[in-house]
Amino acid sequence: MGKTNKLWIAAGGLFLAALAAVSLFVGKYPLTLGALLSGDPYQWKIFLTLRLGRTVMGVAGGFALGAAGFVYQTVFRNPLASPDVIGVASGASAGAAAGILFCSSAAAVTMSAFAGALLAVMSALALARLDSTGRSGAVVLSGIAVHALAQTALMTLKLTADPERELAAIEYWIMGSLSGISIYDLPAHLILCALCLGILFALHRQVILLANEEGEARALGVNVGALRLMVLLTATLLVAAVVSLTGLISFVGLMAPHCARMITKSNRRETMVFSGLIGGCLLCAGDIFARSAGQAELPVSIFTSLLGAPFLIYLIVKGGRDG
Amino acid sequence: MSFFTAQDICAGYGGKNIVSHCSFSIEEGCLTGLLGANGSGKTTLIKAICGSLPHKGTCTLEGQMLERLSPKALGRRIGYVPQKSGLELDISALDTVMMGFHADLGLLEGPAPGMKKRAAEILDLVGLEGRQEDNYRTLSRGQQQLCLLARAMAADRRMLILDEPESALDFPLRRRMLALVKRWLGEPGRCALVSLHDPALALNHCHRLLLIREGSLLGVLKPGEDDLQTIEAGLSQIYGPVSLQEVSNGRGEKQLVMLWEGQE
Repeated sequence: MGKTNKLWIAAGGLFLAALAAVSLFVGKYPLTLGALLSGDPYQWKIFLTLRLGRTVMGVAGGFALGAAGFVYQTVFRNPLASPDVIGVASGASAGAAAGILFCSSAAAVTMSAFAGALLAVMSALALARLDSTGRSGAVVLSGIAVHALAQTALMTLKLTADPERELAAIEYWIMGSLSGISIYDLPAHLILCALCLGILFALHRQVILLANEEGEARALGVNVGALRLMVLLTATLLVAAVVSLTGLISFVGLMAPHCARMITKSNRRETMVFSGLIGGCLLCAGDIFARSAGQAELPVSIFTSLLGAPFLIYLIVKGGRDG
Repeated sequence: MSFFTAQDICAGYGGKNIVSHCSFSIEEGCLTGLLGANGSGKTTLIKAICGSLPHKGTCTLEGQMLERLSPKALGRRIGYVPQKSGLELDISALDTVMMGFHADLGLLEGPAPGMKKRAAEILDLVGLEGRQEDNYRTLSRGQQQLCLLARAMAADRRMLILDEPESALDFPLRRRMLALVKRWLGEPGRCALVSLHDPALALNHCHRLLLIREGSLLGVLKPGEDDLQTIEAGLSQIYGPVSLQEVSNGRGEKQLVMLWEGQE
């Protein structure tokens, strides 16, 4: 690992730690370090039920989305590929909505969200294969089609939902928020995230090989179909593990890898780590903003979209300038 | 038995054959050129041999049928240089070359220090000294081609396949690339197939020339063994009326030059 990259990772880690520390103490109910240290049971209850869970999810979830975005963009050989753009997140939304309507347990909603995400990525890949030229842009177009289909399914599910209970739960899920996430909800999701991240980091060399054209990768000895399936399944499971708890979080998976590459100017394993750290910073900062910007708590995607939309415009301008 | 044999290869896109019933063989240590006009099927034939395009027929290297090999086993035998890489990633030249060792590594295994050393040496050998950490995307097309050649030559493979490697190279680099391939062929148990646009380059460097037109192999030329009339007749089937002149450079080395004899 280069010395400069080490410094960037250290800086990113420190900044994320600082944001996490701020996140623990920002919110409707005041919380102080002194009261916590003195063992105030009320303060501890707020800390454990309202703050710790969402902060941990902000850090871990953002990291996961940033790292998964790096994988999607590399494997699809498209800088616009992300869990949002290729329809994985909206597939997860439709899946979660089906889970809310037809099952009751949180685990079933998670599984349903995962199944929706998986179905979306498989559909996008299958549709892209209809383009015989193998253009990477075909995946994005397919993702847009899958996104539209998932949105249609979601609207249909919402129409059949009980307005007071199920519809509210679906809307709440879709808006994307870290509120209400308790530390006690997290272990299964965090284990899943850690497992998927471990696999993706271990497969980093293979992920980079998939950035070659399919025939070129095959000539290098890569079993392209099997490897791409394994990598995308793992990345999709990672995204599903996050969004099944948080709901839709826009643009984190798109912005974080770009920022990491712009800063490190490489695609090495440390760039993937840095992408995760930037993702964590974005989600943590978005959650702090969501809690402190208004009287009522805002959806976190408002903040990430506020950054994401101009970022997309920047990419268009930069692409035009670079030719 | 020949070192490499292609038997009755048919391949194409969308159900339409671009190359039909191509059969040929390459002997050990032989640099074989593939000459044909644009759209004659050179790249399609090369992609079929590399296993990146479904095809009918069989390819045999050292007695092993390539179609029966796993992608990894195939990658351990063949080094491939595409006409233009689809790699559009910020990645160092050294890391690009290290990709060439993939077939020798386990799923979770990283390249050994010896591989990194070898990759650095081969980058120096192809003329990219001091460019190890340069971003592959910022290299010129010619330098990228050299980097891809280094990737194909870094690991110990049995056969090198190059698809129009000279298309992005200037005059000295074209000669250098083929000289590097010939040097690589100096080790026993190796052969190379290279599709070329430049007939003069092919005539003066290749041991054998396969002539391809409209997806069919027309014949094999042996520069240095066949007489000029035979070679002229063969090349005229591809390029139209041409003649060959044998000329000498300042050092007295004889080279063949192809001249156009038709009307513009």
